[in-house]
Amino acid sequence: MKLRTYTLRYLIVALLAVIALWASLFYMVILDEVYDNIDDGLKNSKILITREAYANESILETREFGINQFKVEPLPKGPLYDFSDKFMSGFEYMEYDDDNEPFRYLETVFNDAHGNPYKLTIRASIVEEDELLEDLMTALIALYFMLVISIALLNHIILRKVWKSFYILLYRLKNFKLGSGVKFKAPDSPVTEFKNLGKELEQVLQRNETVFTSQKQFIENASHELQTPLAISLNKLELILENNNLNEEQATEISKISDTLNRLVRLNKSLLMLSRIENKQFEEEEDINYNTLVSEITEEFKDFADYKEVNLTTINAAQLHFTMNKGLATTLLNNLLKNAITHTKAGGSVEIIIDKNRLTFLNNGDTPLDKDRIFDRFFRSTLNEQSTGLGLAIVQSIASVYNLTAEYEFNQKHIFRIIFP
Amino acid sequence: MKILIIEDETNLRDTITQSLEKEKYIVETAHDYISGMDKIGGYDYDCILVDIMLPNGSGLSLVKELKDMKRRDAVIIISAKDAVDDKVKGLDLGADDYLAKPFHLAELHARIKSAVRRKSHNGNNAIEWSNIKILPEQREVFINENSITLNRKEYDVLYYFMINPNRLINKTALAESVWGDYTDQADNLDFVYSQIKNLRKKLKDNGADADIQSVYGIGYKMT
Repeated sequence: MKLRTYTLRYLIVALLAVIALWASLFYMVILDEVYDNIDDGLKNSKILITREAYANESILETREFGINQFKVEPLPKGPLYDFSDKFMSGFEYMEYDDDNEPFRYLETVFNDAHGNPYKLTIRASIVEEDELLEDLMTALIALYFMLVISIALLNHIILRKVWKSFYILLYRLKNFKLGSGVKFKAPDSPVTEFKNLGKELEQVLQRNETVFTSQKQFIENASHELQTPLAISLNKLELILENNNLNEEQATEISKISDTLNRLVRLNKSLLMLSRIENKQFEEEEDINYNTLVSEITEEFKDFADYKEVNLTTINAAQLHFTMNKGLATTLLNNLLKNAITHTKAGGSVEIIIDKNRLTFLNNGDTPLDKDRIFDRFFRSTLNEQSTGLGLAIVQSIASVYNLTAEYEFNQKHIFRIIFP
Repeated sequence: MKILIIEDETNLRDTITQSLEKEKYIVETAHDYISGMDKIGGYDYDCILVDIMLPNGSGLSLVKELKDMKRRDAVIIISAKDAVDDKVKGLDLGADDYLAKPFHLAELHARIKSAVRRKSHNGNNAIEWSNIKILPEQREVFINENSITLNRKEYDVLYYFMINPNRLINKTALAESVWGDYTDQADNLDFVYSQIKNLRKKLKDNGADADIQSVYGIGYKMT
């Protein structure tokens, strides 16, 4: 869920509660104030009426609420009356509305000029509570929606503005690739938290980059450093072999040591190759015509394929061009073809199909290989002592440098496929 | 023939020296940039082997120096750095060849001979051994002055033996030199054997006196 929707969801619920609470309080306060006001008016009327009763006794004859909003009833003389004001509410039929309307009454007792007690009732029409409540409700609902809309709008604008640098940061982080050589740069932000986040990220990634680089450098340096001692050992053995004073057994043993060292040399060279590819040291690029290159390379492998009695065919279904380093393109094809020929039994066949954006190597085989691990370093499907276990890892590595897809599939045959973008 | 080796690694320098002296070369050595400069300034050589990473300076500067002096010495760079740009730079500066460490001594001999021969241009650049003659420029092979036809790889194998006659050639060295990257698997050594078998047959059928013989199953020697 987006941050905007997430915050808005909580705000809408919270606002509803706040407004409801506030509405009930407001309603009670308003109602209280209305009654208070009406009661004050009734008290004032009482003073005016009793004063008038002294001057004009005819109003003492008002027995019913008519045009006047009061009535006077004589009380028998004698008992002690309560002269205090009593307020009450009630309903009365109103012609205008054709309905019972709420009224407020003031009931009190007073003596006229001659000391006769009278009961005075004054009434005042008051607002209908439910109507007030209804109006209030409508107003509040309108207010609520207005608030929600304006908050959503403000939320949208503010969040977009405030989080802008955050989204830029996110975008840059998504596009950041360790070891690509491009430094991660956090965007400038007016928000301190985001600025700090950016700074921390920059530092963490910088540290990672340093570790990554030094590790890659280490493999490369180690491989380099191994070359000289290997050269010395191999050359010394070669010298010994050339001195014709060895018997067969000694010569064979030395030759075996020499072969083992050669294996180490190949392993070392493959490791160096891998780290060079990953360190992007093959910068020069040119347009490679794969049809031509494949035919050159199959020519080179012809002797080997003939010797292994493997039938080698190429199907040029389309012209395949791609811009990359020529050495790497050659290595890619070499490793795939060598792999295919080596693992095909005598009498089998290797087929290369060149499509517009696809290169497929098919070779005979009985059992499928581990699809997920076939391109891993040092993964060997067979117990081949001479294999470095890096050939297909190099293929994978070259593929990923150029955003190609290297995949394996088994469908009666082993199928290795390179898909070009 | 006089050869100068400029290499800081004592052990490697000694091994190369030993191997070259066996071939009756006159070998001089230098262990760093300054002593290398001294030797170059003092004498002419038929071939100079120079390492790139040297104490006090780069081997590439030495190569450049030689070019500036318009010297005709053949120059082969030997380096632990098998980097393409170093190779290109070295060859651009006037080096005749580039050999990445580790290398086989037989390969080094072959490279030295090729470089010296290309540099000399004395008209007679044929390589002869027994009654076999090779014209490397034309890639032609003669036995008793009769031209014979070899396929590309057979020619490469024969060339390697002709340039290293009477020397034990390790199977791996031969495979790497002739088939390069295309062979490095176990059964390839038998593959080399089958290729040599074909070549031997052709040589024999055409009346060559020299023969390529297997030595203890570790390599071959042309005698």
